[in-house]
Amino acid sequence: MKRFLSSMIDGRGFDIGLVSLPLAFLLTLSGLPLLYNIVMSFQEVDMFSLGSFWRPFVGLKNYRDLFAQPETWPILANTATFVIASIAGQFLVGFGLALFFWTNFPGASWLRGLFLVSWVMPGLVVGAIWNWILSGDFGVLNFILRETGLIGGNIFWRSDPDFSLWAVIIANIWLGTSFNMILLSVGLSAIPRDLYEASELDGANVWQRFWTITLPMMRASIGAIIALGLIFTLQQFDLFAAITSGGPNNASNVTQYWAWDLSFRQYDFAKGATISVIMIVFVMIASVVYVRSTRHEVRG
Amino acid sequence: MTAQIELTNVNKYYGAYHALKDIELSIRKGSFTALVGPSGCGKSTLLRSLAGLESISSGTLKIAGEVMNAVPPRKRDVAMVFQSYALYPHMTVEENLTYSLRIKGVAKAERKKAANEVAAVTGLTHLLGRYPRELSGGQRQRVAMSRAIIRHPKAFLFDEPLSNLDAALRVHMRKEIRALHDRLGATSVYVTHDQVEAMTMADHVVILRDGIIEQQGSPLELYDRPANKFVAGFIGSPAMNFLPAIGGQDGQSIILDLGVKQTIAINRAVRPGQALSIGLRPEHIELAAPDQGALSAPVALVESTGATCFLTMATTPELSVVFNGRSGARAGDRVGLNFASGSIHLFDAATERRVPG
Repeated sequence: MKRFLSSMIDGRGFDIGLVSLPLAFLLTLSGLPLLYNIVMSFQEVDMFSLGSFWRPFVGLKNYRDLFAQPETWPILANTATFVIASIAGQFLVGFGLALFFWTNFPGASWLRGLFLVSWVMPGLVVGAIWNWILSGDFGVLNFILRETGLIGGNIFWRSDPDFSLWAVIIANIWLGTSFNMILLSVGLSAIPRDLYEASELDGANVWQRFWTITLPMMRASIGAIIALGLIFTLQQFDLFAAITSGGPNNASNVTQYWAWDLSFRQYDFAKGATISVIMIVFVMIASVVYVRSTRHEVRG
Repeated sequence: MTAQIELTNVNKYYGAYHALKDIELSIRKGSFTALVGPSGCGKSTLLRSLAGLESISSGTLKIAGEVMNAVPPRKRDVAMVFQSYALYPHMTVEENLTYSLRIKGVAKAERKKAANEVAAVTGLTHLLGRYPRELSGGQRQRVAMSRAIIRHPKAFLFDEPLSNLDAALRVHMRKEIRALHDRLGATSVYVTHDQVEAMTMADHVVILRDGIIEQQGSPLELYDRPANKFVAGFIGSPAMNFLPAIGGQDGQSIILDLGVKQTIAINRAVRPGQALSIGLRPEHIELAAPDQGALSAPVALVESTGATCFLTMATTPELSVVFNGRSGARAGDRVGLNFASGSIHLFDAATERRVPG
């Protein structure tokens, strides 16, 4: 007992104690629900069996049923479009802004700080604001596009099946850009200045310096931000709830919104769980990419 | 004797701060020039101005006869070895070496050949496939130099390249850089704060202080005839002793006051009563028996490295003496000190300039 106490005070026992606390927290509040969710995707679940854990095991039936539904593939395709377009938009705009602020003009760091405002705002509020901007009749986006002559008539962003998904993508790009910018700014500032001086003396112009120094030195940051972007966009729920609710007719529905809809509006918990499992697989892949890219940091 | 680099009336301002003041400098083709001075003297600024990494505020800068004032660094055809080496961490040694060729669009096979040739000269052949992080400090230093050599530039610029190495390696690399310079017939400009490096490596030493060239010339010229007290104190190790003195009544002698007044005949014209500072190099003072020297002083400290002996005298100001061999003297002993009057440097105490003659 004494030995145990002394190891708690200044030995390995203290370290184990420190680690076990967050581990226990993670296991009970993330690990168990995750496992429960996976188990549920192999069971038959209805309102009456919701209270018990021992429900009929149905094998892959939920998965087969899910893919037999006509809306499944379009929704998966929507998810892919949403993820790719959001990440591409957030990354490109974020990288552009990071490079812009990197030139360090007077007030650069102050302005960069202001950009974080978008990141601080709750998704539902952002959605509400974009609802106004995207509004078909009096929205400011339509006004600008119309006045610059880019479009002839108003686009009904939220109710036109061709545009509703893009309405959410535009809002999501706005929401995620500042996070991309901050992370990429950190990556940029970690590149030593003298590398640029050396390459400049070696004859490289601005464009060549970007491709041969900046991009390769940013590999780890870029890998991390894209993996995190994948996780964040697969989490993006508020904007769908606020802007389109997945409609019209699933035109802007994505897996994360659909899973919630199936489980908590249609009470088809098994299918909701099944979708979540499919998403977990993608997030796992992203996590591996993220962990690997942060491990391979290149530093002189 | 053509000048490879020529600076005429060059000034550099950072806002109100005057970093380089009326720099006049001509660097002969094939010479090894050292820019030396204490930190903040402007030597790095001067070197970076040659490279184009800093722009000069006024004056003209010519490289190989062409005015370079507004030419960007990549078109100046000069190579620089950085203090931090600035190796590209994401490239192998070979890719580091051939980076400039790749930018120029040289074919891959040719690049490889050039890398092999340079690596053979600098002893990097077995390291070509490694990354900079896998190299030791000395090896990185060699990669940085090879990267400069492969370009056959109009001039090599070195920015304190040895300051990150340990003492033994520094001495070794000093010789290696000088040997490479001779073999390539290159024009080199070398910035250092270490006067020993400057003295041993360079043909031409430029001493800077506060953005002004205090003196330039061959290393021995600077050692033998320092133009002012600053140069005299900067060149030589251990540093020169300075003692206050007054010009004698006959204009041919000085009166030295080290507790007791002593008159020393000297072959130079001084004004009677002129306040002087006399400079005596520690290696030009000889020990004698206590009653036989020109001066006599108690010993404060004896330091011996075996081959060389350093003595510090208990005088005000402190006087240091260095000689080869060993001494039986101990702290507290009184010893006599002798020096030839020809080895005395005379400076005006007010202007700090050398008294001519």
